[in-house]
Amino acid sequence: MRRLSTDRIAHHSPAPPDGPLAAVAPVKGAQRLTAVDDEASRLGLVPGMALADARAMYPALAVVDADPRADADLLAAVADWCDRYTPLVGLDPPDGLVLDITGCTHLFGGEVALLSDMVRRLDKGGYAARVAIADTVGCAWASAHHGTSSIVPLGGIRAAILPLPPAALRLEAGVAEALAQAGLKRIADLIDLPRAALAARFGVALVRRLDQALGREDEPITPRLPPPTYVVEQPFAEPIGLERDVLGTLHRLAGRLGRVLEQHGDGARVLQAALFRTDGKVYRVRLGTSAPLRDAEAVTRLFGDRLAAIGEACDPGFGFDLVRLSALVAERQSEVQSSLAGPDGAAELAHLIDRLGARFGLDRVTVPVARDTHIPEYAVAAVPAHAAVSHAVVAAPVIEQDSRAPARPIRLFERPEAIEAIAEVPDGPPVRFRWRRVLHEIAATEGPERIAMEWWRDADGHALTRDYFRAETRAGMRVWLYREGLYGRETGSPRWFVHGLFG
Amino acid sequence: MPDPRRLDALRQTLAHLDAKAGRRQQPDVLPLGVATVDAALGGGLVFGTLHDIAAEAPAEMGAAAGFAAALAARAAARAIPSRPVLWIQQEVASFEAGGLYGPGFSAFGLPMGRLVVLRVMRTRDVLWAMEEALASGALAAVVAELVKNEADLTATRRLSLAAAEADTLALLLNHQVSPHASAAATRWRVCAHPGPRDAFGGLGLTAFTLSLVKNRHGPTGCWHIVWNHHERVFSAATSGGVVAAAFDRPDRTPLARSA
Repeated sequence: MRRLSTDRIAHHSPAPPDGPLAAVAPVKGAQRLTAVDDEASRLGLVPGMALADARAMYPALAVVDADPRADADLLAAVADWCDRYTPLVGLDPPDGLVLDITGCTHLFGGEVALLSDMVRRLDKGGYAARVAIADTVGCAWASAHHGTSSIVPLGGIRAAILPLPPAALRLEAGVAEALAQAGLKRIADLIDLPRAALAARFGVALVRRLDQALGREDEPITPRLPPPTYVVEQPFAEPIGLERDVLGTLHRLAGRLGRVLEQHGDGARVLQAALFRTDGKVYRVRLGTSAPLRDAEAVTRLFGDRLAAIGEACDPGFGFDLVRLSALVAERQSEVQSSLAGPDGAAELAHLIDRLGARFGLDRVTVPVARDTHIPEYAVAAVPAHAAVSHAVVAAPVIEQDSRAPARPIRLFERPEAIEAIAEVPDGPPVRFRWRRVLHEIAATEGPERIAMEWWRDADGHALTRDYFRAETRAGMRVWLYREGLYGRETGSPRWFVHGLFG
Repeated sequence: MPDPRRLDALRQTLAHLDAKAGRRQQPDVLPLGVATVDAALGGGLVFGTLHDIAAEAPAEMGAAAGFAAALAARAAARAIPSRPVLWIQQEVASFEAGGLYGPGFSAFGLPMGRLVVLRVMRTRDVLWAMEEALASGALAAVVAELVKNEADLTATRRLSLAAAEADTLALLLNHQVSPHASAAATRWRVCAHPGPRDAFGGLGLTAFTLSLVKNRHGPTGCWHIVWNHHERVFSAATSGGVVAAAFDRPDRTPLARSA
């Protein structure tokens, strides 16, 4: 098991001024440096120094406010970009990344080639990085932050970390200072000391970090993105930018992915196309399908719809140099389905839902599913159609059918519209109402159907009971009205609303 | 000596073409169940063409949607094997005239389990989705709801062509009467009609006033009809008559005509 890791990104300001640069943030009431560039570093400035001291040493120091969120975003973007090397990319905040490149190096021509490729590309993007490859995360971290050698050979961990300062072990604040006071200035000084004594004096964390660096204790990487089940990709020496080329590439990749899926008897439920732009930006286009899918034509068409819908948001810039297609979620696909000849309505429907979902978003293609409640607006939920199959079916509450007319309107306003209504008696049915500035005379009503708010939905206790009426105007229009609040008990002047329209 | 396999293939192609032509000669129709209306339509609403339904006034949108829902319910009920109904709605439509309410559809004769709802932002998205949906052939009916009248002759012609591919009922539901020419086979204007009362003065079945303003295959006309959501059948309405009779004996009730 080869553990592998990390690089360090020097902070970059958005508009670089001349001369040494530092980012500052208020720490415990004082402005302190949080990051310095190469030039400032050569002048002896270090993070953690008070701004006043730094200014005293070098008055022309350019200073920008630290922006931890932007740093985090940048780190995430770089992590995205590093996805081209391995799917297992973990964040090491605030400024590091951990990559598990086990089994990936041969794709790039070995460790050395991978490392130089990565450094060269990062440098081209304007990011100075220190990179190290080692068997363990701890050792790679130590080498990247404090060491000189960028590739620690197999079994060379001990030799690599011996000359490094204890801070290279990723210690908590204060521990390194305490070790220095005790005269332990290099890892070599403490590596052979009795563990119990070390733990007792400097904390268990120190021993643990030592073990992790030496590979005695396993340290898993938490990948930022879930590693996909199936991946195919196509790198390009000359970047491609035309939509036609991208789709053509996706079609070829979909063909390859389909064959791999078929070998395993799987079909993709969630697909993702990642387009790596030459300048480091990565676009990820994700699609869900309503049934396991491995047909290259169908996959290409879905991505075609999706890309057409995204349009401007996916700017090829100077082109993409890597296109990757992955099946993030795969499911068993039974062979019987695909071998059945002739039109299969269910499969066609699933495909249509996928296409509509790919273009407009899967949450826009919905099926209404009944909920067990009498509150009209909660009685139905719009469940995405592609997930509806797996959705639990709840029996709808039975609505008393006391009329020849339908009991519920076919159209319901999300926000009931306030109306002026006049009833003969305050708690009786309305006789006329004014809605959208038009006066309607009511010819017949049915009701009331009294619906009280369910107590668990009503945290404030302010929701009023509603009396619903089905009303037909003289012109024949049928509306669903309600009076909010029981007259005399809940309110003195109940308000009226239109909640829906009947067919 | 010709290749027998090739001959066979040619024969199959011919048979296929014949079947296609034959279907065109005798188009599949969806009868409404009202003799007079069906007679004007030549049997019923033709599958494979576009039908345009408009609300006479914005306040009549409930009735227009009801008529479309009733037709979709009839189409869904006769589809074998069972196929759902796709209802495409613009976001703004739900503010204007309310969102689609599943329990209401169930009560109206179209079980909500058979309804698939697509909500999109723009008119062109509605048209795109309708064209795709018609071409897929996986649906019993497609209802596309347009708030503004932006479906012009080109758009309706495209939709008609897409509809011709499959036996799906294609309905365009306009929130207002469209000034554009349309390639639709029929154009309807719908408003609510004061419905029949039940024996106790309560609301009866849903009633519509239908104006057929364009009919490619027959005369236009105007009818009062009643929708029976239990039986999923229309019947002619009598103005002020006894309802129960109208709904039991739909064909014998006299046709009410208005200008």
